[in-house]
Amino acid sequence: MISFNLIPLLPEIYLSLAAMGLLLLGVFRGNESSSVISWACVMAAGIAALLLLWMPPERMIVLDGMITMDRFSVFMKYLVLAGVAAAIILSIEYMEREKAARFEYPVLVLLAGAGMMIMLSASNLLAVYMGLELQSLSLYVLTAFRRDSVHAAEAGLKYFILGALSSGMLLFGISLIYGFTGSIDFGLIHSSLSKFAEIPAGAIVGLVFILAGTAFKISAAPFHMWTPDVYQGAPTAVTALLAMAPKVAAIGLLMRLLLGPFEPAAFQWQQIIWFLSAASMITGAFAAMMQSDIKRLMAYSSIGHMGYALIGLAAFSQAGAGAVCLYMLIYVIMGAGAFAVILCLRRDGRSCQRIEDLSGLSRTHPLLAYAMAILMFSMAGIPPLAGFFGKLAIFQSAMTAGLYGLAILGVLTSVVAAYYYLRIVKVMFFEEPTVASLDRGMPLARGLILILCLVFVTGFILAPSSIMATAQNAAAALFPE
Amino acid sequence: MIVQALAFYLFAGVLLASALMVITARNPVHSVLFLILSFFSAAALFVLLGAEFVGLILVIVYVGAVAVLFLFVVMMLDIDFAHLRKGAMQYVPVGIAVAAVLLGELGMLYLSWNAAPDALLNRGAPGALLAGPTNTERLGQLLYTHYAFPFQVAGLILLAAMIGAIVLTHRTRPGVRRQSVATQHARQARDVLEIRKVETGKGAV
Amino acid sequence: MMDLWQSYGIWTAWTFLYIGLIVGGVLISVAYLTYAERKVMGAMQRRQGPMTVGPFGLLQPIADGLKLFSKETIIPTQSSRVVFLLAPMLLFALSLVAWAVIPFDKGWVLANINVGILYLFAVSSMGVYGVIMAGWASNSRYAFLGALRSASQMVSYEVSMGLIIVCVLLCAGSLNLQEIVLAPRPLWMQALLFPMFVVFLISILAETNRAPFDLPEGESEITGGFMVEYSAMAFALFFLGEYANMILMSAITTILFLGGWLPPFGILALAAVPGIVWFGLKTALILFVFLWARATLPRFRYDQLMRLGWKVFLPFTLLWVIVVSGTLLALGALP
Repeated sequence: MISFNLIPLLPEIYLSLAAMGLLLLGVFRGNESSSVISWACVMAAGIAALLLLWMPPERMIVLDGMITMDRFSVFMKYLVLAGVAAAIILSIEYMEREKAARFEYPVLVLLAGAGMMIMLSASNLLAVYMGLELQSLSLYVLTAFRRDSVHAAEAGLKYFILGALSSGMLLFGISLIYGFTGSIDFGLIHSSLSKFAEIPAGAIVGLVFILAGTAFKISAAPFHMWTPDVYQGAPTAVTALLAMAPKVAAIGLLMRLLLGPFEPAAFQWQQIIWFLSAASMITGAFAAMMQSDIKRLMAYSSIGHMGYALIGLAAFSQAGAGAVCLYMLIYVIMGAGAFAVILCLRRDGRSCQRIEDLSGLSRTHPLLAYAMAILMFSMAGIPPLAGFFGKLAIFQSAMTAGLYGLAILGVLTSVVAAYYYLRIVKVMFFEEPTVASLDRGMPLARGLILILCLVFVTGFILAPSSIMATAQNAAAALFPE
Repeated sequence: MIVQALAFYLFAGVLLASALMVITARNPVHSVLFLILSFFSAAALFVLLGAEFVGLILVIVYVGAVAVLFLFVVMMLDIDFAHLRKGAMQYVPVGIAVAAVLLGELGMLYLSWNAAPDALLNRGAPGALLAGPTNTERLGQLLYTHYAFPFQVAGLILLAAMIGAIVLTHRTRPGVRRQSVATQHARQARDVLEIRKVETGKGAV
Repeated sequence: MMDLWQSYGIWTAWTFLYIGLIVGGVLISVAYLTYAERKVMGAMQRRQGPMTVGPFGLLQPIADGLKLFSKETIIPTQSSRVVFLLAPMLLFALSLVAWAVIPFDKGWVLANINVGILYLFAVSSMGVYGVIMAGWASNSRYAFLGALRSASQMVSYEVSMGLIIVCVLLCAGSLNLQEIVLAPRPLWMQALLFPMFVVFLISILAETNRAPFDLPEGESEITGGFMVEYSAMAFALFFLGEYANMILMSAITTILFLGGWLPPFGILALAAVPGIVWFGLKTALILFVFLWARATLPRFRYDQLMRLGWKVFLPFTLLWVIVVSGTLLALGALP
């Protein structure tokens, strides 16, 4: 008999029910209610986070092995919920200004969030796929949400086609794994694979396809082609979401897959992750230098960040996994802050996204310029800001694991990447304003998010050990004794 | 047995031939019709395997509903495929190369394939729950117990897809006169009709 | 070789005999359904209907058939020839293959398969292709309009038909048509299913493109719709297919809701009459409803048709699935 213990699923169930209820409300109240519904969705994400707080700390495997709830999934789900809530808050005023405010928007974001949370605690390949598709489908729609804009439609189509391709690869990999081990359950796959001294070819090909599919979702090079176009074409509020929550979910899924069922094949996947990581760091660093569009720049920046995060995974150690958790935490917060600034870039009521639009920002909007400068310094990994500690933890774990090449490459690409982050600072502070100044006025909620992010980024140094300990604690759940 | 084997080769042959025709037919509508034929043959193969429920659901859902809408769209679009093909030909070498690599890999895999020793044991694992004489009942039992969670999430996915379809396509056009059955029913004769006495030779005003 | 003959040959010969019987029966029924239609509509409109060919005009269908046989099949020059000819054949063939699973009496069934009702549903859902192919291959505006109407109409009404079938399945606990007929159905269950019976009756009118839902033909607006370019034998096949489909749908209604071959109202004394007679009578009753509706109701407008399908039937049947399953659960009557 199967125990239908739904307690570990309560946050997901709550989110889905809230999404459905708010959808109904929206249908009856119309688009005028979209800001109310947005705030209700933020609240729903908050309540889901409270439910997570209530989860028992020990590992629970329920629904016949479909769902695993442990400290790792709780930690990553907090990040996802934070990303989702921040993305909705950032979107409210933006969507209204762009005359694209519709009540379906926050509902879809919430559904995507539910999908990401399912991805993070799935322990069966079918459940993984279902969660992945739930988040992907919602995100495709969100990307094309401004259907009258050619760019958004193109971005949505690109994202959809390439995303469908990657889902296909993932499914093909899953089918190979099923053919090889006869199971889609994480535990059974692990026990089947661990019986081999040398992992046979069939399982490795399946693993490669699964890795390719998930690498698409985290936009690691060489599967990153969609990222710049989608980031650029999507409405900026959606780009903010894409840059935060799905990355966390996909990295979390990758960690759970590789450190869970495919742990016996560690020797094989370490090489693949090594390559993905190196390629992403190099692509992120060099391709970003050519960009003149800030959203494309953020896309390459996120590719690079994923490369750094993958180093921690390649280390295949508890310290490495902890470093990835910490890195993702810092990444989400920096991303929220950066997009809060980017969303302020509008002139004469129209949003603009070229880097030169930032020129002379320090004269016209000094506070915004300083905020952006701090965030850019942090992204570049300059001490004593939070970004530095994330990178430090990652490189440390790489050194301990003996991945000297990757660590050196990481440091070198960090230096290259610092160039384009600092270029933004230079444009803001040392270039004359070439065009008319930006519109004034910052909505309260967005300002609040920006301030919170800045406080975290600058204040991280005051209590680094406790945050690091939390991340390590979460990662420890992936390494059961 | 020989009849089953013949039927298998018949349907498998039709499936492959029609799948080939899907991508080679010049007329897109013919392509879709061949696609439908291949769906149908696949359903027949399922029936041959003894999975009659899955086979018939394939016919009902894919042949009876999805492909109809497909055909609908293709018929309406009036795509000039010759024009589209012109550009596509230059990618053929790349496509062939990728396909050859994949085929080679699959071939290598086939030659060196060996399933895990406990694969058969694992494969039977969810089946331990099964009871019931027909495979419809067994499928139902698996779907609503072991796979209840993915089943429900599939429902959520469909909800998201539905919202998406409505968000991306539905427009409220101004100036459309809609029928409101309730209002029509609520209308009374005395609200809209008035009987006037028209005097002879004067005409109605 | 002898071995093969004994294991398959005899069985095949019998099967062919049964198939011949069923097909022959269906074709004769179709012929006299057209006669019945003209007579019934005549009576309703205070006319006499066919009177001259044979006694009471009984040979009229045969005369009509001969006329269609002897005419020339015209294939429009701009049409897609293969698809144009395939369409009526497909429609006609589909209206016949469905009969394989229909139980005429206890054990009187060609293929007693486990998922009989799904098979019927699958076959009836494929019927739309005959119409679409005909409309497209004719390369004519009217025909194309008819095909589009038919496609959306049949797909729309199939959804609620599927849900109605689910209601019946919940009560019967089987997908096998004989077991559905034989499943005990107390009065409360019949009352529970009665609304579904009404909705099903209306849906099969739409599914077979019959009045008041005959928009795909719509002779007064699109001059015959998808059939506008067809003549002689090709047209006859459409005609036969449509009427065979009507009979088939009536038979399905009989099996799902009226107790198939069982005597009416559970009166045991009536069981002396062979089941197939009851089956035929019940089917004829439903067929009468078809004709009745055609003689009385004006054609629906297209948006009204869609509205009825999606906004009335679909939510209602969906709700009723929940009501039926809830009631069965509450009464502990789940089979």
